[in-house]
Amino acid sequence: MFMRRIFYIIDEAFRTVKRHKGLTSISIVIMSLSLLMLAVFLLATDNVLKLVGQAEQELKVSVYLKEGLGNPTIEELYRDILTQPEVSSVNFVSKDQALESFREQLGDDADALDALRNNPLPHSFQVTPGAEFKNEESLKALAARIQAMPGVEEVRYGREFVEKFAAVVRGVYFVDFVVGFIVILSAVFIIANAVRLTVISRRRTIEILKLVGATNPYIVAPFIIEGAFQGGVAAVLSLLLLRIVTEVTRRAIPDLTFFSVEKSLIYFLTCVLIGALGSFMALRRMLRMS
Amino acid sequence: MQDTPREDRTVIGVYHLTKSFGEKGANAAGESALEDVNFQIANGEFVFLVGPSGAGKSTLLRMIYMDEFPTSGQVVVGQFVSTRMKRKDIPFLRRRVGIVFQDYKLLDDRTVFDNIAIGMRITGATPYQIKRRVGSLLNEVGLYHKRVAMPQTLSGGEQQRVAIARALVNHPAILLADEPTGNLDPDSAEDILRLLFKINSGGTAVLMATHDQHFVQTFGQRIIHLRDGRVLEDRTTNLVGNMSDRLESVRLDRERQKRIDREIKRQKASVLAPTKSE
Repeated sequence: MFMRRIFYIIDEAFRTVKRHKGLTSISIVIMSLSLLMLAVFLLATDNVLKLVGQAEQELKVSVYLKEGLGNPTIEELYRDILTQPEVSSVNFVSKDQALESFREQLGDDADALDALRNNPLPHSFQVTPGAEFKNEESLKALAARIQAMPGVEEVRYGREFVEKFAAVVRGVYFVDFVVGFIVILSAVFIIANAVRLTVISRRRTIEILKLVGATNPYIVAPFIIEGAFQGGVAAVLSLLLLRIVTEVTRRAIPDLTFFSVEKSLIYFLTCVLIGALGSFMALRRMLRMS
Repeated sequence: MQDTPREDRTVIGVYHLTKSFGEKGANAAGESALEDVNFQIANGEFVFLVGPSGAGKSTLLRMIYMDEFPTSGQVVVGQFVSTRMKRKDIPFLRRRVGIVFQDYKLLDDRTVFDNIAIGMRITGATPYQIKRRVGSLLNEVGLYHKRVAMPQTLSGGEQQRVAIARALVNHPAILLADEPTGNLDPDSAEDILRLLFKINSGGTAVLMATHDQHFVQTFGQRIIHLRDGRVLEDRTTNLVGNMSDRLESVRLDRERQKRIDREIKRQKASVLAPTKSE
């Protein structure tokens, strides 16, 4: 009984696709193009977020220690800093390591360091805050708390950079949100209308199914499958188009990356869902009408 | 199939049915109002519903298959009562009531067989059951040889027979036919009528709406005459002889009439255009 029902639904769904090839193709093309618009936006957002993420990685708090602290004190400080709620990891950088990396940074001019009688660089901690604390206020508060700990000489967190960074990210998010709102709204609108076209073309079928005593699930299910099918095909088409667009754009922006496999899959499933939902909405309106 | 003998032999009961569509008496779709309509149809009856167009025949039929609901009064079809009807019960009512229209309402994306089968497929019948039932119906309406044809390749009469087979597929207690011969030439119309009589003789009640007085005068058993939304008369004429004999006499009558018409036309043509012959 169950299998028969499934078979009936699939058979009915693809009967229309076969019967109305032209209409189905037009509907899929319309969906693909509006989904491409959406996909371009999503990919741009994806890349911007990746950039923001990379920049966030750079956000660290440097804690410089006073001269002449004993190992136990340093260990205690380490523990105190690590137990701060904002902190995700702490790296100890000894005087010698600091000098070594300084030497590397200087490169050819490193000879100048040989003139030093002893190492002027202090021990330090490189503190990495958790992702959700990489904002101005959290870093400021964390810096203030560490500064108050005994044995701490100075705390630096690149304040100016953080402030500017936060402003830029806010701007990017705002623009992204506004554009995203418009793009998603228009894509859903276009898709819903494309799907409605297919549903309206089968008004007669619906009328007849109702006359012979089909229950609503029997009427609705084939359309949902059909909508999902159209959404899926349109998703694949729009991803292919986007891939081409990406390859072309990469000549100008080499760092541009395409969606990961997981994100492509989520995108595909979302399109399938939009197609199915669009069908369902258009149908519901019609079932209520008659 | 699930025909259990009931004490109540009434298959359709219409009680004080009134339907109004605002003030104009007819709404945008051209439906006509009805006023205080009363009648019952027993199991196995054949009833003509006659009246000029706009009298409310279609509205009345739609009320019976519950596509519309009365403004007041009640329609009872088997165990279904219009005033207690829930939306989700409607499909189950439709399976007990076969419906045939003037425009056949066939699906042009599937074969004759599939058009008839659809009514069973939605009930979850097995492919075997469907094949048997549809096969026997195709035989009954004389279209077994056309089972894989597409409906749009058939003549009007054949399409209507497919529609009738579809209406019967779930063994309904009554067949509603709304002007089933309206789009057909007299010969096909007669075939359809003959088929309806045959179906009726098998025990299915038939309620046929028509504005063709000719049929009714010739075959009328029970006639419900509707005018301006009211029942003008509801009478049963007991004509002698069986339906087929009467159909035969109608056919002979019509053929004689046709011959006469042809003769008149021919004579007219020869009078009006005497030079055309050479």
